[in-house]
Amino acid sequence: MQRETWVVILVLLLAGGALYLHITTTTEEFSRHNIGWNGTSNLPAEDVRDLSRLDPGSTLLILAPDRPFTAAEVGYLRAFLDGGGRIIIADEEGAANPLLADLESEIRVRPGNLSSLERDYAHPGLFKGYVVGNDTLFAGVETVLLNRPAAVEGGEPLVETSVFTWDDIDGDGHVGEGETFGRRVVCAREGNLIVLGDASLFINAMLPENTKFIENLQPVQIDAVHSRTGSRNPIINTLTWIEERPPAVAALAALAILPVAWRFGRKRE
Amino acid sequence: MRPRASHIILAAAAVLLILLLAGEAVDPVLYAAENISTAAHADPSTIEKRSPGDAASVVPLMDELLGHTGTLALTIKVKDYESAERDLARYSELSSQFDRLVVKLDLSETDIAEFQKSNRQNQEALAALLNDSQRLDELKSLEIEVLDGDQRMAVIYEGEALRQKMRETYTAYAKREPETTRIATHYGANATPYQESVEVIAEVAGAAEDWQADAPRSPLNISVTPREGRYGENLSIGGRYADGVPGTPLTIYVDSRIAGNTTLDENAAYAYPYRIGRILAGPHLVYATAGAIFSEVATFDVLPAETNISLAIAEVNRTAVACTGNLTTEDGRPVLEAPVILRVDGETLISTETDGNGTYARTLVLTGGEHTIRAEFNAAGYPLNSSRSQVETLQVRGEGLSPFPFIAAIAAALGAGWYIRRRGLPEEHPVQEEPDIEPPPEIAETVPSVEIEGLPPREAATLLFRALRERLGIPASKTPRECARLAPDHAAFFERYERIRYAGEVPTEEELRSMEREALGRG
Repeated sequence: MQRETWVVILVLLLAGGALYLHITTTTEEFSRHNIGWNGTSNLPAEDVRDLSRLDPGSTLLILAPDRPFTAAEVGYLRAFLDGGGRIIIADEEGAANPLLADLESEIRVRPGNLSSLERDYAHPGLFKGYVVGNDTLFAGVETVLLNRPAAVEGGEPLVETSVFTWDDIDGDGHVGEGETFGRRVVCAREGNLIVLGDASLFINAMLPENTKFIENLQPVQIDAVHSRTGSRNPIINTLTWIEERPPAVAALAALAILPVAWRFGRKRE
Repeated sequence: MRPRASHIILAAAAVLLILLLAGEAVDPVLYAAENISTAAHADPSTIEKRSPGDAASVVPLMDELLGHTGTLALTIKVKDYESAERDLARYSELSSQFDRLVVKLDLSETDIAEFQKSNRQNQEALAALLNDSQRLDELKSLEIEVLDGDQRMAVIYEGEALRQKMRETYTAYAKREPETTRIATHYGANATPYQESVEVIAEVAGAAEDWQADAPRSPLNISVTPREGRYGENLSIGGRYADGVPGTPLTIYVDSRIAGNTTLDENAAYAYPYRIGRILAGPHLVYATAGAIFSEVATFDVLPAETNISLAIAEVNRTAVACTGNLTTEDGRPVLEAPVILRVDGETLISTETDGNGTYARTLVLTGGEHTIRAEFNAAGYPLNSSRSQVETLQVRGEGLSPFPFIAAIAAALGAGWYIRRRGLPEEHPVQEEPDIEPPPEIAETVPSVEIEGLPPREAATLLFRALRERLGIPASKTPRECARLAPDHAAFFERYERIRYAGEVPTEEELRSMEREALGRG
């Protein structure tokens, strides 16, 4: 084969690889298909789309929920909790509050702009939370690096901020008029239900910061239907749809193999 | 594959790549990622690791300050004045440390700043109590020793003044306790020693009351009008001295410190204008002395006032900016000789001071790039509230690029051009290193045809070199030196050509004829 042909094949392979990477990834916040810093592609978790098929006694993570749960789904979650399963709801925008109410929990997420003076980073929203409760999720963990968390009210506190934390209402990074220091709970528990006011703990950029906490979380299933872990990209959704259906995968493989087989068949003739 | 087809594919791949890049062109990351964040979170790997200050030490320091009030009150109560002096010095040192922390952490608008003010007032109160207790003990000794009527009365009057001062000190100290305790408790600091110090101070003041409880009134009376004022306002401190001689000098004390001097007029009256300056807000004590005679103690209140601070920035040169502004009270009075802090980029603190007109000016040298500057007045020690200016954002041009790299680059380019021009563009580079010795190729004695008539001598030499090389079957990639090694019989020809080719020598007509014969193999 000519040298030029090899170059063209190499260029086509590289371009094809880049194109595939481009169309099958996204930059959407929290998306499992986002390989960037704000995605969750590196979080070791099994995606779950059918809440009626949860493994009893396992852990379900509902990360940054943004779609409502049906009454039936709430029923499945209640049954899962009653059966000894653990649900972790990570939300910083308050979107989980209707679900919490449906689950008859008193815990609520209070969105805000929590900032702290006790921090190691120049960004006021990137600061330490202190583990104050006893839960296997935080076994061996004393502090957690938080990333623009929301306060959580109700339940048994598991993680608190330092007393030099304030809700930065005007967003200027300084404690001003009408802004007061005080400890805030950012993670609380009610039985097997844990509410964490910081979904950002699970993004790719944060995984190396809280390794022990992520280890303690395993094994975990992640709700892929009601949260921002999905994507709005139609190509990604089509590929996901195909991946989840073995007949569709087989049909696609056949489509790829047939032209090659036909070509080689003709050559032999 | 046909070249045309491969070119089309490559062009299509290039177009596709450009289209993909165009999609990212709106938000390119063609620089080192820095401070990347969204509404939901920040990327810690791009955020500078920099703490705003040692916030973790604030509460332990509050604990220490509160603890010192208890210790100091107790040492005053047991009259261990030497230890009390040491405790007071340490307390003062810790208070200064706390003041710096408040400024560094930018806490001037929080209740920590309220705690800071209360702490300063407590420190002053305890210092006054220590001095008054010591003086009272001295007076008690003097009262026993002094038998003379006038001197005895002077002792009694001074004792009465001290008792009043201690009473007022305690009242003000106790008044601050609930709010200070509330703030301390909110931050988890231990306020118990402080609360206990209030009780101890009550005992110290109470003990003073027991001495000379029925003392006669001093003939030197005193009053303050009006009874309250704000920063920059004048109060009149005055009174009469019964039996006083006109012209008698008097000394006025505010909080046991000399505020000024005056004299009795022909009516045995005196008046001293007192301007409220750098003094804490709250109640203050004032008394006068005429020789050994102490007046009674009067009080006045200083009310807190708001302040305004302005900031204007002007460029001085490429790296320096002039920061100027005014510090005034809410009713426009200038705040004189007051410390002003310029907070650069939210972190770096630069100190300056207002002049006699409440104006400050400071030139800052900054690195190139964007900077933010804010002027702040932290009103520690003043009956004023803190204030801060608007944040001014400025672009500093910086030193600019050094001309030396450009000069060096131009010089290098000129040098290279000169060299190339002098040597001519080489067709083949001489081999500097010793090449691998190759077996001599089989020499084919084919005679090429060469016509050198009318050509410049050096070009003619090149043609003859090529002809000989071709005749000997030496590959065209070989240099003259390699040719000489491969064909030692013609080494002289090749070495001569090497000098013509690379040293710029010009062959003579005779030399050319000789070379032609050799190149064409004519003997």
